[in-house]
Amino acid sequence: MLNLSSFVQRAQQLLDPTQGLNLTDSDKNPSKASLFQNQFRLPASQHPLFEITAELTIPPSNITQGDKNGDRGYHYAGKLHLSESYLCFSTTPSSFLQSASTSTASAFTGQTHGGGPSGNGFSFPLCSIRRVERLHSQNFQFALAITTWNGVPQEPGKDKDATKDKRETREQRITIQLAGPRVSCERFCDGLKKGLRGAVGSVGRLRKVVAECYSEYLLRPEDKKNATPPDAGLGMLFRYPGDPKKLRDRAKMRLWAEYLRDNGRNVTLIRQPTFHKLIRVGLPNRLRGEIWELTSGSVYLRLENPTLYADTLAKFSGQESLAIDEIEKDLNRSLPEYPGFQSEEGIGRLRRVLTAYSWVNPDVGYCQAMNIVVAALLIYMSESQAFFLLSALCDRLVPGYYSTTMYGTLLDQKVFESCVEKTMPILWEHLVKSDVQLSVVSLPWFLSLYVNSMPLVFAFRVLDVFFVEGPKVLFQVGLAILRINGEELLDATDDGAFISVLKAYFARLDESAHPKSENPKLRAVTRFQELMVVAFKEFSGITHSSIMELRLKNKDAVLNNIESFAKRTAIRNLGPDSKLLSTEELASLYDRFYGVLYERQQRDHIIKQQEHARRSKSSRPRATEVVSNEEGVEKGRVGLGPSTSLMDYDAFREFLAGMAKWAISDSPTTPRLDSFAEKDRGFYNSFRKSDVLMSPWGAGPEPADHEFLQRLFRKWDVDSTSALTLQNVVTGLARIKGKRDIMGTITYFFELHDDNGDGKVDREGILRMSEALLFLTRRGLEGDLSPSNSTLALNGLSDGVNSPQGDIPGQSLNERFLGSVSAFIRRCFEYADPDHPNNHYSGPADRGEIEESDDDQLANPDAFAIGDDDDSEDDLLEMDSPPGSPKAAKRSDTSSNQAPPSLQLNSSTAPSTLNSDASDRRRVSRAQSEKANIALDPSNPLHITLPTFRMVVLADELLEQFFESSFPASFHITGGLTSSSSQTPTSALTTFSSLGMGAGRAVGAALGGGSAAGGAGVPAGGRGLRGVLDNIVTDGMRVAAEVRRRMEEAQKELEKNALPGQKGEDDEDEDEDEAIPGFEGRMTAGRSSATYGGDAERRSVRSSDRDLLAGADAEASDVNLPGADEAETGGSSGRQERGDSASTRSGNSGTGGKVVGVEFDG
Amino acid sequence: MADSANAPKPSSSVKLVLLGEAAVGKSSLVLRFVNNDFQENKEPTIGAAFLTQKCNLPTRTIKFEIWDTAGQERFASLAPMYYRNAQAALVVYDLTKPTSLVKAKHWVAELQRQASPGIVIALVGNKLDLTNDGNGEGAESGGEGASAEDSGDARKVTTEEAKTYAEDENLLFFETSAKTGYNVTEVFTAIANAIPETSLKSARGAAASHAASRAEEQRVNLNGPRDPNAKEGCAC
Repeated sequence: MLNLSSFVQRAQQLLDPTQGLNLTDSDKNPSKASLFQNQFRLPASQHPLFEITAELTIPPSNITQGDKNGDRGYHYAGKLHLSESYLCFSTTPSSFLQSASTSTASAFTGQTHGGGPSGNGFSFPLCSIRRVERLHSQNFQFALAITTWNGVPQEPGKDKDATKDKRETREQRITIQLAGPRVSCERFCDGLKKGLRGAVGSVGRLRKVVAECYSEYLLRPEDKKNATPPDAGLGMLFRYPGDPKKLRDRAKMRLWAEYLRDNGRNVTLIRQPTFHKLIRVGLPNRLRGEIWELTSGSVYLRLENPTLYADTLAKFSGQESLAIDEIEKDLNRSLPEYPGFQSEEGIGRLRRVLTAYSWVNPDVGYCQAMNIVVAALLIYMSESQAFFLLSALCDRLVPGYYSTTMYGTLLDQKVFESCVEKTMPILWEHLVKSDVQLSVVSLPWFLSLYVNSMPLVFAFRVLDVFFVEGPKVLFQVGLAILRINGEELLDATDDGAFISVLKAYFARLDESAHPKSENPKLRAVTRFQELMVVAFKEFSGITHSSIMELRLKNKDAVLNNIESFAKRTAIRNLGPDSKLLSTEELASLYDRFYGVLYERQQRDHIIKQQEHARRSKSSRPRATEVVSNEEGVEKGRVGLGPSTSLMDYDAFREFLAGMAKWAISDSPTTPRLDSFAEKDRGFYNSFRKSDVLMSPWGAGPEPADHEFLQRLFRKWDVDSTSALTLQNVVTGLARIKGKRDIMGTITYFFELHDDNGDGKVDREGILRMSEALLFLTRRGLEGDLSPSNSTLALNGLSDGVNSPQGDIPGQSLNERFLGSVSAFIRRCFEYADPDHPNNHYSGPADRGEIEESDDDQLANPDAFAIGDDDDSEDDLLEMDSPPGSPKAAKRSDTSSNQAPPSLQLNSSTAPSTLNSDASDRRRVSRAQSEKANIALDPSNPLHITLPTFRMVVLADELLEQFFESSFPASFHITGGLTSSSSQTPTSALTTFSSLGMGAGRAVGAALGGGSAAGGAGVPAGGRGLRGVLDNIVTDGMRVAAEVRRRMEEAQKELEKNALPGQKGEDDEDEDEDEAIPGFEGRMTAGRSSATYGGDAERRSVRSSDRDLLAGADAEASDVNLPGADEAETGGSSGRQERGDSASTRSGNSGTGGKVVGVEFDG
Repeated sequence: MADSANAPKPSSSVKLVLLGEAAVGKSSLVLRFVNNDFQENKEPTIGAAFLTQKCNLPTRTIKFEIWDTAGQERFASLAPMYYRNAQAALVVYDLTKPTSLVKAKHWVAELQRQASPGIVIALVGNKLDLTNDGNGEGAESGGEGASAEDSGDARKVTTEEAKTYAEDENLLFFETSAKTGYNVTEVFTAIANAIPETSLKSARGAAASHAASRAEEQRVNLNGPRDPNAKEGCAC
């Protein structure tokens, strides 16, 4: 039970990293643990495990105060709480059990109202408990006597004399009567027993920690006071500020000594009503540090890790940081009026504490004003004590004050203004009317905790109360200052006058508040005392919870302000490249950039939550409830301070998927449509599992992973840090989108594929380029399939489009583009420069061979189209991705194909036994083309240069347009993707395929060719991959063959210019027609290989592309019609066969070559 | 810069804000101007410090209400609170630290977009005493190129570069030394002279610009729809 619930709470703790900030939505429904920790000021490692109603009996202090004989002691009814290593008692009846309602958990009374240790009671570390005895009592009462180690330091080396002396050996012993059913009492005791046993090891640590407390020294018997007292701050060396006589330090010390003797000291101190009173009259100098440490709870942090301070200093010794530079600048100017900080000793302490904290909390680092606060602390406490108190300040007491965005400071200013408006409406109105900004004066009060606003002695009095009662004290004092000076402030009409009124007031805090009063007692009241009275009496309505409420209310506005400021600043400072983009684009980029990072962090949390929920669910059903409470975690919000500002590759993909269609995956691993769910099952199984766990993409579309994306990422990552900054992204995009200069874009694209920067792109690179082109345009140019304006516009531009079917303007364009890409490859090889001068296309190609290779070629247009198919993206990537890429596992089965295409030919032929006849055919042709295909021969390397590339691109109108407008325009920075298109990539893809099916023109060819590719859809993944690779390879061959043939033609004809060779295109079309019958057989084979539904889907895509390619080629050559008709015939025959096998997907495909937008039946 | 306020001269207040990277000498410039003093170790400015100083011009007296802001980067988000309604701004950089000029440019851009329209901005390169120019108080740009290399001149930002930028952005430009006092009063006098007469009409001198800056304020604070009732200009 103990383990389980502690686990749940630990999980809860984990899930709510911001609970210490008290700022997130979890604030509305704060976790019980955080309330508990706040209440008793315990470290974040503590959770309420057990609690029980109990009565605390503090025995009469008869030993020290003989006069109290007969007194039965003090009795307090309240609740006893047990956490992992603390036993706490409070008269506040709040409950922190999971079963308790939020209202009982947050129903606080007392001065702190939950903002700190309230009510009477104690927070004992279990290791401070020496003995727990079960008392025999009547009435079956369950009573425990608890003896603490208190007094132990007096004993070491105890001689017989000392033991005799009762005063020295007196133990602190309290009695607690547990109320409640016996079972729960027993359970509590079991928990306590376990906890005590666990705490035994910490006793030594405790001893070390309390040794630094001055009270240990103070309570020592006189004869043992010769030892040096523990460090109670610089004040011991340089005197404490203020006149001790005036401060009545001696009297205070006496009172405290008495209190500590009776009620325990440092960690075993029991809070009784006197405690709070003693604090409000001001702490004595030497005990101030210790009580601060105790009331703020920082002593418990120190107890957890006593050596953290020294360790941190040692660990980072000699290292440098920005924070250290900033600290150094301020060391000489922190409370310079105090002598201790004019000495190297004081400055050294300050330096060490600030530096150590900047190391343990790099998110905060160093903020000006911390130097002042820490300097103040160091007057009263040791370095290590100040270090932990600073942690408690930054994490709990004034969260966010010193963060890099200072959101806590800004938020509390808003809260303070709200308080002023509410409590002093007239003054508020005056401020508004005279345009005086309150925070101008009040911000330093809060930020430096009044330390440099008031004379030090008074500032420390405020701190005394602040540490015990929490941040609300800052508000109460601030309001009281305004209230007391209200009259004068109403006369002040500008910032300057306002400031000087308050300056004058602070300077006279020690004067009498009523100098003219007849009553000497009243005359003796100082202005500061008046201030305290006003603060805590008149503004007693300002409670911890009312402050929290106001913080919550103003949080969003403040964070938004900070964020818009940060955004404004960031955008303005993006450098010259950013000028290439419009302000709207930059703003939108900023939002997208941080949006993605934020979303991803949020999702990480949710995933972690889910994992926790899963784990804890098995044993405890309520775990889900715990988890659901934690949904509002806002880590990563820019306004909250430093968060990730670096984008890794996955985030980059997601980022692109938000604005570019081509960056959306076609094959989401998380199925969105049924058809895809089915399809996915086979082929994607291997990597789907891990993907789902590792990178869920939230509500957005799943981003694609393509080599192009990797290249882009690497290109933008100019610092090679594997992460992009906003600057990187803006610069990267500015180069693509900013210039709108076709030459620039072409160059950019070329450089993107020029791996070694030598200005050459080799054969592989050419293929990769074309893959990238197809990848980028597979959802159509402009990335829009629905006839958007842009598409139409582009369509209008492209004069060659004969698209009587106005409803599908995208299609013909896409067709044509595929053709362009195919031509691109051809031309690239055609104009490529050999790497060796003797590498010429010398192969004597006889006509027959060409025909054979053409035969092969007919399959290839489709095969080529596969290159832009969804699954093949990955596959292509396979081939190209360097070893060690994340896909390595998947690649294992295709490893044999990693060699350059021509080498793969052999290996990939083997497995295609399904379509034996076809592969026979292919093998023949392949062999022939291999001979012919010098372009693919690795022993004859070739490359293209930028001018060649440029020429090839410019030779094609569509490609030109792509680089001129389509590619840059495909980044929809401002508008983003329309909901319909971004909604789901699969639907877009389905449309695409249905378009393809509708076109139906060369379905036969498509389907036939698809057999190889169709294999890819078949469950046997390996074969699928091979099939795809096969196609790429054969495509390369086709191209090569084409190149060769063209070379010959070129030799024959004189014209060898950039215009597309019409003859060649004609041939291609004819070849396609020829191919149809031969491929039907293969098709059948492919079909019989099961999982037809998904397969068909896949195939349809592929066939459409193929179809498009064929069509585009045909169109480009203007002689497409007969060819297309024949293809259609072939297609219908293929379709019939498919129909047999229960898939009616392609049922409509035969209705007409150009009818598109056909819906699937299935 | 004595406080000899001549009764007949019209007097008006000008709100001036100092901005710039940490430790470029903002506070020192103000201290030199206000008290004709220099301290090696000045307490860091928390939020902002407020000082006033009069500046006598032949025709009028200008009372500067100077807001000296904290330079640490994280205090930047507080800056709008201080520069709101400012009629003048001193953007300070350190002649020996090129990054401080970059930061100064950021501030100029921020002011030009977010502060009151018509704000007079002066770009000030401080710590001239660390350069060769500062030694002779000559500030002639002639010697720069030649002598910079060999004599351990700490100057990293050329007069030319900053001046060109200042001219492009229509800023007043000075190189000063708060330590020696060189050119400090000149900066403030030049600003006083550059403040348009129209914005000095009222008692506080800012009434005319108030309405405008109020409207501006909405933009500055980007209070947005969430927070329409909140006092403008607060908390950035």
